[in-house]
Amino acid sequence: MGFFKITARPSRAAAWSLSASLFVLCVIAYAYTAHSRHKENPKDKVVPTFSEMWDGFSRTAFEPDRNDEYRLLLDSKASAKRFGLSLAFLVLAVLLGLYMGVFPYLEHLFLRFMLFVDKIPALALLPILFIVFGLGETSKVALILLGVFPTIVLDTYLRAKAIPKQQTIKGFTLAASDFEITYRIVLPQIIPGVLDTIRLNFKAMILFLIAGESLAASAGLGYRIFVVRRYIAMDIIIPYVIWMSVLAFTADALLRLWIEKRYTWRGES
Amino acid sequence: MNDQPLILHVDNVYKAYPDQGRMRMILNDVDLKVRQGEFVTLLGPSGCGKSTLLRLILGSELPTKGHIEIAGKPVTGPDRDRGIVYQKYSLFPHMTVLENVVFGLEAEEFGLVSRYVRRAKLAQHRRHNKEKAQEMLDRMSLGSDLNKYPHQLSGGMRQRVAIAQAMIMEPKILLMDEPFGALDDNTRTDMQLFILEQWERTKMTVFFVTHDLVEALFLGSRLIVLSQFYKTAKEDNEGSKIVTDRAIPGGHPKPTSFKNSAELAAMLEDVRRRGLDPDFAQHIHEFDLSHADAYQTVSAAEWGSDQDHDSQKDQRTT
Amino acid sequence: MRNKIWMAIAVALAFTALPAMAKEKYKVAWSIYVGWMPWDYAGHSGVLKKWADKYDIDIELIRMDYIPSVEAYVSEQIDACVMTNMECLDMPAASGIDSTVIIVGDYSNGNDAILTRNDVDIQGLKGKQVSLVELSVSHYLLARCLEKNNIKERDVSLINTSDSDIGPIFISDTSQEVVITWNPIVMEIEQTPGVNKIFTSADIPGEIIDMMVVRSKVMEKSDKLAKALTGAWYEVMDTMSKRGADAEKALAVMANSAGCSTVEFKNQLKTTAMFYNAQAAVDYTRSDELKEKMDLVRQFCFRYGLLGENARSVDVVGIAYPDGSVQGDKSSIGMRYDATFMQLAAEGKL
Repeated sequence: MGFFKITARPSRAAAWSLSASLFVLCVIAYAYTAHSRHKENPKDKVVPTFSEMWDGFSRTAFEPDRNDEYRLLLDSKASAKRFGLSLAFLVLAVLLGLYMGVFPYLEHLFLRFMLFVDKIPALALLPILFIVFGLGETSKVALILLGVFPTIVLDTYLRAKAIPKQQTIKGFTLAASDFEITYRIVLPQIIPGVLDTIRLNFKAMILFLIAGESLAASAGLGYRIFVVRRYIAMDIIIPYVIWMSVLAFTADALLRLWIEKRYTWRGES
Repeated sequence: MNDQPLILHVDNVYKAYPDQGRMRMILNDVDLKVRQGEFVTLLGPSGCGKSTLLRLILGSELPTKGHIEIAGKPVTGPDRDRGIVYQKYSLFPHMTVLENVVFGLEAEEFGLVSRYVRRAKLAQHRRHNKEKAQEMLDRMSLGSDLNKYPHQLSGGMRQRVAIAQAMIMEPKILLMDEPFGALDDNTRTDMQLFILEQWERTKMTVFFVTHDLVEALFLGSRLIVLSQFYKTAKEDNEGSKIVTDRAIPGGHPKPTSFKNSAELAAMLEDVRRRGLDPDFAQHIHEFDLSHADAYQTVSAAEWGSDQDHDSQKDQRTT
Repeated sequence: MRNKIWMAIAVALAFTALPAMAKEKYKVAWSIYVGWMPWDYAGHSGVLKKWADKYDIDIELIRMDYIPSVEAYVSEQIDACVMTNMECLDMPAASGIDSTVIIVGDYSNGNDAILTRNDVDIQGLKGKQVSLVELSVSHYLLARCLEKNNIKERDVSLINTSDSDIGPIFISDTSQEVVITWNPIVMEIEQTPGVNKIFTSADIPGEIIDMMVVRSKVMEKSDKLAKALTGAWYEVMDTMSKRGADAEKALAVMANSAGCSTVEFKNQLKTTAMFYNAQAAVDYTRSDELKEKMDLVRQFCFRYGLLGENARSVDVVGIAYPDGSVQGDKSSIGMRYDATFMQLAAEGKL
């Protein structure tokens, strides 16, 4: 074994079992805790057993509730819609960042403002958002955007700025216009990096999404977690949390693979 | 005498940059005329402002004073009249070799919007442009790498593509900023032969900046040395002047054997001493401005003669 | 040598630990609500300390947000907690945390309300969006209101809204027509022009009860905590009900902690049916009326899955009463009304 050997080359089997070990450990520790708590209090709801959680999951996923809705589907759809809408608005963030990085006048107009807005703790503004935008979808999307929009703008801006000046000049000598340089030379070069940043911001977006849903909503993954909390339904909360993590993990992995496949020009150089 | 039309005219050009709270002069009254078909190599000690002069001609920077014309048109910014090959960053990393070379042709014919509005026409032109680019790349023996991305190419191949990318636009003048500086010796020699081949075929005008004396003398039909090491009648001089502007003897292009000739060795010694040696610092009266198109405007204060007054400029042609 | 040092340390530790071990220590949580503010006063004024000393125990009084306090109680982090009869049933009792109600302090008599603007009346609720904290007593109030007026639950749509923002949002967003909440938020909203209360807990008196609950496991070991808490509570009740300078001072302290003026606090007290008198509380706890009201509450909890979504019947959680009767499963009692201590207080025997 060479745990602390820099040149170590773990075999495939070793690599996989190492990756799996911490997951397995967590599951065992959880099962043990749940088991011992249930021995003491068979009705314990704080640490539900796996079968209770599976029960909770199937109830939300496969059985209609008293409003004839499949809750997991309903909630996932509601949350996905908010998430997707926010993602769509991030296109504007990318464009703004791109323009700021390329056009000096726009840079001066927006940069300091964005740097400042970026520092605003969005969650602290929640009550204001709800008062201004009401209880509908607008306030939830606004919260997510307030949280990540400036980050994406600034990241795109920095990436656009980092494109060598030579590329721009080269563009001009090849008869390209300002907008052709912006959209055909700068944008395609920074897009994979920007997508990576968006990907890494999924977590922040989910956090803001849940925060928004916890304050005012009629459906959504965050909403459900906060409502069933009223009767300590950890058998629903934990599967929901796992479900959200799986969704986020999958979205992240898909986007990462897509970037890798789509942008093969990103070599070592 | 050369009766080719004038392509480049640099007239009384000064360039200064802010430096520690004052303006520091980099180029001090540079004058230069280049005719079509010349292969000009620009040499100079480091820090003399070679690249600055190139950027002024390119238009990516503007002179502090004086003006620059390309074929009679004043330079206001970089445009399709000048091609550029940098040492690095010449190619668009997100485009294939073919796309890099076709880019300029397409950009000239279609705007950003018309690319989408006039799709059919674009497709038709694209076929034609691709053929043209392919033909050129074939000639440069890059025909088998059309769909590779720049990061998949060697340094020498990348520079070939960059040259193709610039040449396909048929610019009035091709500017090259130490294009082979980052290549190993063998590749560099190959590339020197390559660029001479291209020159011979197209008779394009080339303005080639290098810090390598042998390269400058081997490639060029005309040598220009820009240096901050010189003396004038004035006590303190700041900013570089052209201290040498001469034809390089031995015909053009030269055989590879030229690199080992005694002729080159002699010239090498002379140029090095007069232009590049900080201690030698020749006087403005001694500058070798022997090229037919060489000229230099000089102020009376610099020249130190009583007959010249401030307003009068001395124009010498030998 | 080394062993001696360790011995010395062990002995020193033992001595410092001894006095702490001698006294039993209890944690009691309360949250801000008009019917529970007397606990704050009991802590501030030293009344609670006095009663704790009397029974030779330590009581740490902790102010928490309401739901987290009940969650802490369910996870056995604290020994006693204030809560309503509904949360007592659907949070601890349904989670197998056997809980004993030692003090029935008051019932909401208007503190919870359905408020509307644009003159929406009860029949007008149909098809409206209603902001409320879902599955809370607000939800219960709505269910009772709809039930009494023969409106189906499906005819209204709910927006779960955090209690911290429900007031300001309703006041500023005039597109919202219906809100259900509790005091002091009701008072704030009421002051907005054009807003009316159309249904309050005064229309269902005695159903929403505010109580002090101790974990039955703690009770089994010793009843000192219950005695001390009950003694302190009725001493404060006595002060409050006597009217006069002491009462004014006590109310001022409570109002201050609740973040409102004494006048506002008194207004909230008006919509709170306090059992100032221990005997009155005993009587209500022993009444059949309580059983009827609890039946309404447990039916609601069952219908909404609050007793566990897979609960097969409303009887899964047994509720025991002072007369020995049990509502629901006798073998699985989760909630016990115990009038013993209130009775002792009434007789002055604490």
